[in-house]
This record gives sequence, C-alpha cells and structure tokens, in this order.
Amino acid sequence: MTPALATVLDALAHPFSQGLMQRALLEVLLLAAVGGTLGCWIVLGGLSYGAESLAHGMFPGLVLAALAGVPLLLGGAAGILVAALAVALAGRVRGIGRDDAVAVAVTTLFGLGALLALSPATPVGIQGLLFGDVLGTTSADLLAGAALVAVVLLAMWLAHQRLLAAGFDRSGARALGISPFAVDALLLTLLALAVLVAVQGLGNLLVVAVLVAPAAAARLVTRRLAPMMALAVALGAVAGIGGLYLSYYARIAAGASIAGLLVAGYLLARLAAVTSQVRKGSATAAG
Amino acid sequence: MLEPFQLPFVQRALVELLLLALLAGTLGCWIVLRGLAFPVHGAAAAAFPGLVLADGLGFAAPLGGFGAALLFALAVGRLATRGREGNDTLTALVLVAALALGIVLASDVFHSAASVESLLFGSLLAIGAGDVRLAAAAALIALAASWLLGTRWLASGFDPAAARSLGVRSPLPDACLLVLVALGAVAVLSAVGALLATALLVVPAATTRLLSSRIAGWGLATVALAAAEGIAGLWLAVKLNAPPGATLAVVSGIVFALVAATRTLAPEAAT
Amino acid sequence: MTADRAGGGEDARVAAGRRTCARVGGSDSTGPARQALLTAEKLAVGYEKAAPVLNDVTFALEPGERIAVLGPNGGGKTTLFRALLGELRPAHGTLALAGRCASVPQTERSRLDFPVSALDVALMGTIPGRPWWRRPSRADRVAARAALARVGLADRAERTYGELSGGQRQRVLIARALVQEARVLLLDEPFSGLDATSAARLEALLAELAGEGRGVLIATHDLEQARRWDRVLCVNGRQIAFGEPATALTHDVLAATYGGAIVTLPGEDPGAPHHAIMPPHHHHHDHAPPR
Repeated sequence: MTPALATVLDALAHPFSQGLMQRALLEVLLLAAVGGTLGCWIVLGGLSYGAESLAHGMFPGLVLAALAGVPLLLGGAAGILVAALAVALAGRVRGIGRDDAVAVAVTTLFGLGALLALSPATPVGIQGLLFGDVLGTTSADLLAGAALVAVVLLAMWLAHQRLLAAGFDRSGARALGISPFAVDALLLTLLALAVLVAVQGLGNLLVVAVLVAPAAAARLVTRRLAPMMALAVALGAVAGIGGLYLSYYARIAAGASIAGLLVAGYLLARLAAVTSQVRKGSATAAG
Repeated sequence: MLEPFQLPFVQRALVELLLLALLAGTLGCWIVLRGLAFPVHGAAAAAFPGLVLADGLGFAAPLGGFGAALLFALAVGRLATRGREGNDTLTALVLVAALALGIVLASDVFHSAASVESLLFGSLLAIGAGDVRLAAAAALIALAASWLLGTRWLASGFDPAAARSLGVRSPLPDACLLVLVALGAVAVLSAVGALLATALLVVPAATTRLLSSRIAGWGLATVALAAAEGIAGLWLAVKLNAPPGATLAVVSGIVFALVAATRTLAPEAAT
Repeated sequence: MTADRAGGGEDARVAAGRRTCARVGGSDSTGPARQALLTAEKLAVGYEKAAPVLNDVTFALEPGERIAVLGPNGGGKTTLFRALLGELRPAHGTLALAGRCASVPQTERSRLDFPVSALDVALMGTIPGRPWWRRPSRADRVAARAALARVGLADRAERTYGELSGGQRQRVLIARALVQEARVLLLDEPFSGLDATSAARLEALLAELAGEGRGVLIATHDLEQARRWDRVLCVNGRQIAFGEPATALTHDVLAATYGGAIVTLPGEDPGAPHHAIMPPHHHHHDHAPPR
C-alpha cells in the first residue's frame, strides 16, 4: 500500500471514527433507503408538490414540540396530521385552483410556525428545525428512524402490485378491484412517515430534497422500476456521505451540504438527459 | 388602542404595507389567475442566497435578491405546460438548493447567521426608505404592466394551445410577467421575508377570488383586503410583540379559511 | 349445449350466476342467466343520487357473440361498461352475469411513461381475488405469460409497455383481461389510432377469443366494422336498438343514436346508402360522477 493511498483511505475513514459521525452516517443511509424507494412512487405519482406542502405545513408541530420539550417525532407527527388535514380541506375549496388553495394553507401553517417560534423570549433553535441537525442524531433518533423506515419499506413491498396498477391506469385499476383512493391514502401515509424520519436530519425546508431528487434523477436514466429504485438509493447514499465529508472537512452545514449534493445530482442528470436528446435529435435530423 | 400607530417605525411599516397591498391586488391576481403560486414562492426563496451574498459582500440587498429571483423565475417558471410534474420537481429542488446555499453562505461563509431569521421571515418594523421606494416602484410597474399586457396574459392563460395555433403566442408578454413576479417577490422580502412571500402575493388574491368573478372588481377588492389585513396584522404584531410578517400570514390565512367556510356552508350569502 | 364448451360445468356457472346476482337492483332476477353470459332487462344506471344517465337497456350476450356498442360520447357506453364491471349499481331493472367481465380500456388511459413491462401489465390481471399481502405466485406469472402468448406477444413480454406500438399495447391490455379468466371482454374503442394491419390482426384475435366461448362487447364508432359483427347495441341516454346489424342499423336508428352526426355517402348500390359517423373528438374524460 503506497503512502498516498494510505493517506486517502485514512482521510476517508477518519471522520467516521467518532460516534457522532457514525450515527450521522447511519441516519444518512436510512434516508437514502427510504428516499430512493418511496421517492420513485412520489415522482411517478406527481406528488412532489404534495411532499413539499406536507413538509412545510408540519412546521408548527415541530415548533410546538421544541417549545414544549417533547420529542420532535411526536410534534412532527401531529404537525403532519394537521398539515394533511389542511391540505385535504384546501383541495375541496371551490372557486380557485387546487394548487393555489394548498399554497394558501401551507403558507398559513408555515407562518403560524414562525409566529410561535419567533415570539417568545426563549429562542427555540429555529434554524435547526428549518435546516436540520443531522450531526445531532441520537441513538434514539436512529432507532425510531430505522423502525419507521422498515415499516415504509415493508408496506411498499407488500403493496407493490397495487401501487403499480393504480399508478399505471387509475380507472383500469378500479376495474381490477383496486381502490385508487386507498392507494392514494397509502402513499400519503408513507410519505408522511418518510418526512417524519427525514425532518430530523435535513430540516423542514430541505427534507423534500432526499424524497424527490434521487428518484427524479434516476427516472431520467432508466425506464424500469427496480433499477430506478436501486439507482435512486445509490444516489441518495452518495450525496449523503458526500455531504458528511463536506461538513467535516470544509466545515459546511451538514444538512445543507447533503441537500445541495442531492439537487446537484438531479441537475446533472437533467442536463445529461437534455444533451443526449439534443444529440439524438440532431442525429436523426442528419441521418 | 391606536398607540401602535403613533410609533414612527410602525408608521413606516404601514406605508410599506399599503404600497404592497397595491402590489397584492394587481400582481397577486395575475399570479392566482395564471397558477404561479409555486413559482412565486420559489422566486422569493431563491432571493435568499442573493440577499445573504449582498449582505456579506456589501452591495445593495435588492440587487442581490432580484438577480437571484430573476434567474429562478426565468429558468424554472416556464409557463408552457411542458410536463407539469417535471416543472414541479425542478422548482421544488432548485428552491431547496437556493435555501441550502443561503444557509451555508450565512452560517459558514459570512457568519451572518443572526440575520437569517429576518431574511427568511421579514423585518417589517425595520423598514428603511429604500424598501418603501422599492415597494412603490414595484407597485407602479405592476399597475402599468397589467394595463398594457393584461389582455395578452388573459389570453395565454385561458387556452395556451389555442393561443399558439392562432399565432398569437409571442413569448414576450409571459416573459414580462415572470420578470414582474421576480420583482414582486423581491419587493415583499423586507416585509414578510423569503419564505412568506405568498402570504402577501397569493393569499389575499385567492381570498377575494372566492367572492368575485370579474377581473376589475377582483383587483380592487384584493387591494382593500390586503390593506385591511396588513393593518390588522401590524397592529396585532405590535400589541403581542410577535414577528409581523408571520402574524400577517396567519391573519390572512384565517380570513381565507373563514371566507372559504362561509362560501361552502352558505353559498347564497357569498355572492 | 354450451355448458361444456365454456369450461367449468353447469353447476359452477349457476353458482356464479347466483353469486353475481347481487348486482341486481329493483325487481328480482329471472332465470335465463343459464345460457347467456350476461342478461340485462330494462336496466337503468346512474351516478350516485342523480337521475339515471342510461335507461331501458335490454339485451343478452351469448357465448361466442361479439356485440358492437354504438353511441355518441356521453351517451352511456362507458356508463354501461362500468355497470357491467360492478362499479355502478343498477338504479332500476336487472343485470345478471354468468362470469367475470374484464375491461380493456383505451391505451391512452394508461401512462405510457410508466416503468412497466408488458409482462408487468399482464400480471396486473392477477390482482383481483388475491389478498393484498400476497405476492404474485409462480402460477400467476405462468398465466400472465400464457396470456401474452395467446395474443401473440410472447417475445415482447420484457419490453417496456410504452415502447410498444399502439396495436401491441392494445393486445397487452387484452392479455391483462384474459389473465382474469373473464368470460366477457369489454373493449373501449380498441381500434382507434390503429393502422389497417394492426386493426385486422386485432379483429382476428377478437374473433378467435369469441370463438373460444367468450363474449365480447366493443364500444366503437366504426359503423362498417359494426356491421361485420354478430349484434349491435345502440345507446344514447337510452337503448335505441339491439339486434343484428342488417336489421337494426336503419337510418332512423342511426339518427336517433348519433343525432346530426350522420353522414350519408353515395355507395355502389344506390338502394343501400352508405352511412358513416363524423369522427368524434377524442375526449379523455375520467367519466367521474358529476358532483
């Protein structure tokens, strides 16, 4: 082993000698697992906007939990329930577009969270709630996260055929005895659980990155579901680990680094897809 | 009861809000009509890193904000429906990247983390003369553009495909709308911050939309409503010592909910 | 007579008929579910509490028959199919089914960009009746492949659905219906957008499937095609006519069915004018019930 290689390997391994970073690494891998798999259903089902709305709308729940000294998971769960209810109600409002009504609901909830967080004299660490605190992952967080991720993965595996059929042909699925409404409800529930897991590490504002970016990038590359999920998980893991390295060596906020790398990966994939289309277009035009 | 409004900084905030109410009434209605709520949110959030950069490097904040917001609006705010899911994904992710970049710049590069909250949620009670001038300019430009380009915006929004086939589809009016959206997003930043721009630019217009169906009446009603909500929110914020931008967001949201509920439960009452 | 040919004995079909008589609304069912695959008697169907959008439908589908369902968009064809699939309960009248109905929708209704192979789509036919926690079994996969082979797509099983041609996609959807072991196939304008070769192949396939004892209901706008089949059923809010094409497709019937969209073209025989229907707009409603 050459000294140079040894140095590189040492640099790669060194950050993870601390328990703090080890836990962060596990958290990041959990997020990659759930984000890459469930993310495919989110992207295929056009739920990016819904994911964004739920993530932002849950903010008051997080703030209340922080104010009350209660575990974030509980506050987050309550926050997501309220957000889901608000979004559902907003969708029923007649007279304006569904997306606009949802935007109103989300803005109001988000404003409420800010109101609660910024008013009292005791600061509530709002930046941690907004941008995440992946380096503050505790063992309890990991256990809870692993449990939730396991539930989500299991549910997806069991419901795979139905998710596929309903996504492929909604009305045809009804003819097969599948209730599209039930499938929607399942996806939203799983989405909520995934957001709960990810919000601790990435924060309220950045969480949608891990749920959408890897799957959206993978979708540009492959047209089959299993490779899509595998690639998405891999992309999520690479971005996550890379973000941790950035935070360690460049002293940049970890959550933001991870989110930044996730989006960068997506933008690269999109650029590659566009250029290959352009090349294909000019090839067929010439040929 | 009216003591809050005797304070000079509150008075300045009031002027700002009234000017922004004009913006909410004109631009806001177009945003709601053309389904631009998400791009507006994105443009405002995209301004965040621009503001941090301006703050850190010492150039005028609105420039930084506008530059970023404009980039965002033009790159992502394609009004032609070219795969809506693709657009949504791109908007959401670029938004995230902008926020991530902003927080990294603020906490790790320029060490200005303390100002992050005011950039994200506004600092209405610290409004300066420059902010008021920007709001006035934006309102004026919005009014003028609306008068000039309103009919085209309406046509493109109503049936883009037909507009294209009729040969009417010049991209210029829609591009102007996007530039205006970026400008509006930046104008409201000092009042409500990068994350609550829709509280001013979307919520009041959406609320009045539930009640009126004509464009002209809708605009005027929105201006009035936005002004009323601004005054009420400001008063509450001073009284409760709460962040004014967030208070405004909650107030306008509650009004929307009440109007929506009334409309659903008593459709005849809401004409 | 037809008992043995249809596979599964008389008892199974009677039992199935009794089971599916749960779909009957209004007055109780009558006997003749024994021979016919499905029987409708003064059937009226509507959405939720609204007035029925389809009234007075009386017809029977025998094994081996192909019935063309003619009617304008919004005239009730889709409503009828949904009632046959069990999605809508009859408001009045009776509907008796001796076997499963399976739907073969238009290919545009499915997502062409979805990451599914032809085999995945065929496999979806195994979902009904399987508990949600159970994965497709080996037998399910075998059945799906067999169905794809039956429609002539055995070698395309692994191809992505969106990459197949229009005619091939239609056949994959038929395979999905075959996997459900349906006795009745409901096809919604399967020939739209197909070139002559694909259309001919599809027609041949449908003739074979009918010949094996199934019944086929085809919603179509193609009058000439409808004339080649066993019976026609004309609906426009209500049943206008049912019978053999030669007798049922009079000018009056067509006028009542399609209103002003009938075009009379000069034919070779001046005594037999050539009717055609103006091409309709292709709407992609979800046919959701009006709120």
